[in-house]
Amino acid sequence: MALLEVEDLRVAFGASTAVDGVSFSVPEGKVVGLVGESGCGKSVTSLAIMGLLPKRRNGRPAPVTASRPVTVEAADGGTVAAPTGPPPSATAVAPVLRRRGSGADVSGRAVFDGTDLLSLAPAAMRRRRGKDLAMVFQDPLSSLNPVVPIGRQITEVLERHRGLKGDKASKEAANLLDRVGIPDPTRRLKEYPHQLSGGMRQRVLIAIAVACNPRLLIADEPTTALDVTIQAQILELLKDLVEAEGTALLMITHDLGVVAGICDEVNVLYSGRVVESAPVRELFAAPTHPYTVGLLGSIPRLDLPIHEPLTPIRGSIADVIRWHDGCAFAPRCDRVAAPCVAGEPALVGAVHAHRCVMAEEVA
Amino acid sequence: MSTEQHAEPHVPAQRTEGPDLSTAATGPVAAPLLEVEDLKVHFPIRRGIVVERVVGHVQAVDGVGLSIDSGGTYGLVGESGCGKTTFGRAVLRLEEPTGGRVRLGGDEVTAMKGEKLRRFRSKMQMVFQDPLGSLNPRHNVDMLLSEPLKVHGVGSKAERRKLAVETLDAVGLPKSVLERFPHEFSGGQRQRLGIARALMLRPDLIVCDEPVSALDVSIQAQVMNLLDELQDEFGLTYLVIAHDLAVVRHLSDRVGVMYLGKLVEEADSETIYEHPRHPYTKALLSAVPQPDPEVEANRERIILKGDLPSPANPPSGCRFRTRCPWAEDICAEVEPEWREAASGHKVACHFDL
Repeated sequence: MALLEVEDLRVAFGASTAVDGVSFSVPEGKVVGLVGESGCGKSVTSLAIMGLLPKRRNGRPAPVTASRPVTVEAADGGTVAAPTGPPPSATAVAPVLRRRGSGADVSGRAVFDGTDLLSLAPAAMRRRRGKDLAMVFQDPLSSLNPVVPIGRQITEVLERHRGLKGDKASKEAANLLDRVGIPDPTRRLKEYPHQLSGGMRQRVLIAIAVACNPRLLIADEPTTALDVTIQAQILELLKDLVEAEGTALLMITHDLGVVAGICDEVNVLYSGRVVESAPVRELFAAPTHPYTVGLLGSIPRLDLPIHEPLTPIRGSIADVIRWHDGCAFAPRCDRVAAPCVAGEPALVGAVHAHRCVMAEEVA
Repeated sequence: MSTEQHAEPHVPAQRTEGPDLSTAATGPVAAPLLEVEDLKVHFPIRRGIVVERVVGHVQAVDGVGLSIDSGGTYGLVGESGCGKTTFGRAVLRLEEPTGGRVRLGGDEVTAMKGEKLRRFRSKMQMVFQDPLGSLNPRHNVDMLLSEPLKVHGVGSKAERRKLAVETLDAVGLPKSVLERFPHEFSGGQRQRLGIARALMLRPDLIVCDEPVSALDVSIQAQVMNLLDELQDEFGLTYLVIAHDLAVVRHLSDRVGVMYLGKLVEEADSETIYEHPRHPYTKALLSAVPQPDPEVEANRERIILKGDLPSPANPPSGCRFRTRCPWAEDICAEVEPEWREAASGHKVACHFDL
């Protein structure tokens, strides 16, 4: 059993579906990639696993006991796991802050080390978040608190999860900064996020994430906001941390170059579903789904003859996900044929899986 | 210069000819269209509340010279903060240069002012990085595209609309979008609009500042192919500014690498990617992740230490020395000269690496 098993994860914001039945697994100590373009649902998937999506508050069923999870029919016909009781504070504050009907409907399972994270009570999830599983976000400036020194932002995690206080916590924070390659860590502890460069901020964010030696690290586009030379530094750092600690890493990115460099296994997402998943070498050696083929053909490469024409995917991603009556990629696909729009394509194959009805005939 | 306040007759005359697609297509003549000499842009750093004093300068661009042949594409690469965008803006006089000269088709852009400069702007246009931020949200496509024509007094309303439709067609958008507003388009379509707007006056030079970096991978390729096609169709000369080396390599004939306000290396795009001579270029190239696990597993990375130094207080001697893995004493003392290391291959480094 893998460390994290995501099964049939669905996330909908009101009438629009962001994630439409995503399943994948992250084995212990492995780096798994979640690749796709904007709007494919990769970030929402990670937020759902971390329990960071706002819960939908409209028409929810009554709180149930954790021992007997109840599912209810959702509007779209899928089943929605009834969220366990909200904390008292949330009930008191949330209706004031949030419009009725906003928030996300999350269903499916995300089994982490035997526990379904999606069915955990918020308090139980808080105990795990930052300790057993941690996250590195894309934009380090907006994920760090601008008015709190970075040292405090690191010690906060250490206090909460490891019970370290005072000098001990500061010392550990300095160690962490040193470990992520920030020079002169003791002085840096007192600095504020705006005093650091983009690469440094991302290192701080990684330091906070690895503070409690999590078993799973989720990195959501950790290098997208950075320059190439800094990106190389950060990727190297993530690789070292993962190797040294045996941490599993879920890497969310749009950059197939990053995937090729760091991942062991890859899941390609399109329009809220996995369209292809394979070990990294197999995926790049023999991409099967036309979308993966298209993505690879769209990237200008430094190791191919110069001015080689690119073969882009035509059109652009549709706002409305439609997988029910056919392949959502069909309108942009060059291989499209009658079976593509005749029904829902299934994910076939075990090690190298793909969601394309035409794949066998073409290959 | 003040005697040139009145516009030269030939510029407006040429522009009022109306929708003639071939005016700018001068054919592939290998004469430099754009010549830039020793361009400098320094921004003053001011301190003080009541009395502002200048306490220093950010040397955003500090002596950059290059030339682009007519119909050619020059790619300028560098990381954020290296001054590449400021350079592009200064070439178009959107930023006032502190020193140096810019000549476009023989006319000295840096010496122009007032009405003459305003009219001259029809020859040089820009495509911006953020297509949503650079299109007025309250203007529909018709208004967006005819605006530059109105500003330069080109054609009647009907002619302007005809030209707008032709240009939309050239960038791959249907006529039906004329009444729509920027928010109704996807990112890739917006960038097509941005390109169409830059094309409306049929300019000679287009400065593309990060033309694809805000777009998804599959859309990037579409826009890059479009830029290629338009270059042939309209005889355009491009200055492409980007941080992505693969994008620049794909689009450009000649590539210049900038670091902290200066060019460190310049060569034909094939040469610079095959045989980079400057340590910074080598590091940049080795840092670009390749979409191939075999290549990634076997490549040797040069990981640069630290961040870009402040351009307000650049290091002495060679500006790259603080991060250079090969730096020696001489690098801190003497600024390396901008020398021709091989035919057509210029580099600013003391060593032959």
